[in-house]
Amino acid sequence: MFDTLGERLNKALDGVRGSGNLTEEQVKKVTREIRLALLEADVNYGVVKEFVASVRERATGAEVSKALSPGQQVVKIVDEELANLMGSTAHKLSFASRPPTVVMLAGLNGHGKTTAAGKLALFVRKLGKNPYLVACDTYRPAAIEQLQQIGRELSVPVYTEGTGPKPEEIAERGIREARDGGYDFVIIDTAGRQVVDMEMMEEIRRVRNASKPHSVLLVLDVVTGQNAVEVAQAFQEYADFDGMVLTKLDGDARGGVALSVVSVTGRPIKFASEGEKMGEFDYFYPDRMAGRILGMGDVLTLIEKAEQQMDRTEAEAQGKKLMSGKFTFEDFLQQMQMIKKMGPLSGLLGMVPGLGKQLKDVEIDDRQLARVEAMITSMTIKERRNPKLLQNPSRARRIARGSGATQQDVQKLVKQFKEMQKMMAQMGKGGGIPRIPGLSGRR
Amino acid sequence: MARSWRSFFKRNTDEEQANGPVVASEPEPTTEDVEGNGHLSTDLEAVADKAAEAVPTAEEVQAERKEPAPADVWEADEIEPGEAEVSLPEPSAVEEVQDAESVAERQESEGWFGKLRQGLGRSRDSFVGQLNAAVAEFRDVEDEEFWERVEEILIASDVGVPTTAKLVGELEQEALESSITSGAELRELMIERATSMLEGPVELDVSHEPTVILMVGVNGTGKTTTIGKLSRFLPGTAMFAAGDTFRAAAIEQLQQWGERTGTPVVARERGADAAAVAHEAIHAARREGTDVLLIDTAGRLHTKVNLMAELDKVRRVVERQLPGAPHEVLMTVDATTGQNGLRQAQMFKEVAGLTGIILTKLDGTAKGGIALAIANEVGVPIKLISVGEKVEDLHPFDAREFAEALFGDL
Repeated sequence: MFDTLGERLNKALDGVRGSGNLTEEQVKKVTREIRLALLEADVNYGVVKEFVASVRERATGAEVSKALSPGQQVVKIVDEELANLMGSTAHKLSFASRPPTVVMLAGLNGHGKTTAAGKLALFVRKLGKNPYLVACDTYRPAAIEQLQQIGRELSVPVYTEGTGPKPEEIAERGIREARDGGYDFVIIDTAGRQVVDMEMMEEIRRVRNASKPHSVLLVLDVVTGQNAVEVAQAFQEYADFDGMVLTKLDGDARGGVALSVVSVTGRPIKFASEGEKMGEFDYFYPDRMAGRILGMGDVLTLIEKAEQQMDRTEAEAQGKKLMSGKFTFEDFLQQMQMIKKMGPLSGLLGMVPGLGKQLKDVEIDDRQLARVEAMITSMTIKERRNPKLLQNPSRARRIARGSGATQQDVQKLVKQFKEMQKMMAQMGKGGGIPRIPGLSGRR
Repeated sequence: MARSWRSFFKRNTDEEQANGPVVASEPEPTTEDVEGNGHLSTDLEAVADKAAEAVPTAEEVQAERKEPAPADVWEADEIEPGEAEVSLPEPSAVEEVQDAESVAERQESEGWFGKLRQGLGRSRDSFVGQLNAAVAEFRDVEDEEFWERVEEILIASDVGVPTTAKLVGELEQEALESSITSGAELRELMIERATSMLEGPVELDVSHEPTVILMVGVNGTGKTTTIGKLSRFLPGTAMFAAGDTFRAAAIEQLQQWGERTGTPVVARERGADAAAVAHEAIHAARREGTDVLLIDTAGRLHTKVNLMAELDKVRRVVERQLPGAPHEVLMTVDATTGQNGLRQAQMFKEVAGLTGIILTKLDGTAKGGIALAIANEVGVPIKLISVGEKVEDLHPFDAREFAEALFGDL
């Protein structure tokens, strides 16, 4: 549905090669693409404007590096600007010198507060803390039961007083109970609320005042659109949060909301909540998010790694060969070994713009790569250079025996390799990004 | 002015009634279906066993969610000796339930339009303010800056780039052709354009016996709450099926709605196979002569292949047991959702065959512009909107009024 920013920039800067500065016209093209990519990623309109302005300033007259394509160069600028805005390191939890540490969760309905409360409890327990949950959502049917069930699953006690008392009173008594019981980390779950509901917003302020939390976390669904800014500002006013939990990150939302809220509130995102399992919760690493928002993967990491591992001229020669369709098993092997130096394949492929999306539901098994490698190393040099020889069944049988694979595996590899040659040749003529055969992932 | 609940439901026509219900007997069993030759059994345990066999195991789902394996037993408190397997509400609770028509009337007199506008809230003020200013400054249709500002306004309400481009393109074209010169004319044109983009078959088909409505959507978008609210407006009797067997206390949440609205709830224990619950519920609904069965499902991200497969299974089991069902597959979309809502709707449409969207939580600052994008790009009509937490805050969708609320009273 969306082109990645990397692809867009390359398209916009098509034909721009070599050294020299980016021209004004090029910068204009580029900033337009960045603007669209950010809007499609749900970054708030106002934030986009400011962001694009700062990128424009830096990109104008920027010297085009020899190592990177102009598109990659701009991606690098964008990435650096994103890092400036969102910070580059994770914010680790700090604990109160006089326990218990009290953390209050707040947010809109359905953004995942109760689940996040359970996950945070498990997270701090792994850090050696003794967590205690307090159920202050007295509105939604069965919200208390939900927290109780989560508490039972994790063997974390849950303080409840039912739906009768005021949430601020429950919170106060809950904290007292926790202190008396020797628990050193209290998590207060509150009801979901809409920011236009003044009664409810006053309530969250009262809960905050009564519980005097060391930290208030705004829980925010990563799919949230343009109005995230208003939501965050309202919660900042009433709950004065000092950090955010971004939830449902296991979906495919670009998550521009992260950029929006950090930029307007100045508060960092502290935690990332991934899935429905209680363990899927971690500190938030802003650098990972930057790539996701723009769909450029960790293209920079890839660029850096590639630059380190691969001589650029050699890479270009390889690339030419690849596109010409004269690619042999020998080249394939060489490339695979180069790739191996760069890290696990699944991670690497995710970094490649355009592939991340195609490979989203595909699990890549590095062991598969090892099997392919074994098959190729079992070929004679002649066979590697001339894959046609492998149509001979007795050769295929020998290779299968040598590599511990079946004859079918070898035939399949040869077939896929041929397809790849064909595709590469097509790509050389200007086709799209091909699938990677030989790595037939499972859905 | 508001769209009435009364015209919202497509009910049985006389002809259909004369011909009897769509399905008169159990369908032919298949290998995956209920064993035996399918006549209604009165033996509760046998029914339960059959239901358990009727659907494939939930292994692939369990693998994804790592929940305890389901036991093929009824939830203990769901069966009293000599009673049906559905939990019947307390008589007092039933008395409290308001007649749907009276709820509908009261809310109509209050005016949901006002509520929606109020709901769109303070952000709307700035939004409308911007648009007002833009329209006031409108001089001629070739004013690039003016159109850029309209674009800006649409994008800021989550309409998204492609739909905004289309809408603004159309507007510009039409404004040129009909040589529009005043802001008021332009406003009317904007509303008309947005309305025609949003218009679709809004009626809810409840003409079957029983009608089966499947509620789907990603986590936290308001499925269970919407089921509870919707049951108050349905003509005839309703029944709930607690198909969210995954999330903690989801079953209890639906049961509380059951008590609140006087609706029986078919439930199994947490971790049970959702398809088995649906199967049992259809059986119960037919036996009880229930008019509308509302099946709740667990929230799932559209990217989770196994969970989407589970949903597909629920739908297939329902379809096999009652050909033609589910008659409505409704997806809840949170109004705060950004552009990812498009992908959500696309995937759920592919897997579950959506018949409509329910736009929830319009009482916040979100403008719900994603509805426009979904209607335009995915082609699923919006059927209902929810503008608050109360039962009477659920309304049949009215394209024109939504567009008006979006653009404000310029």
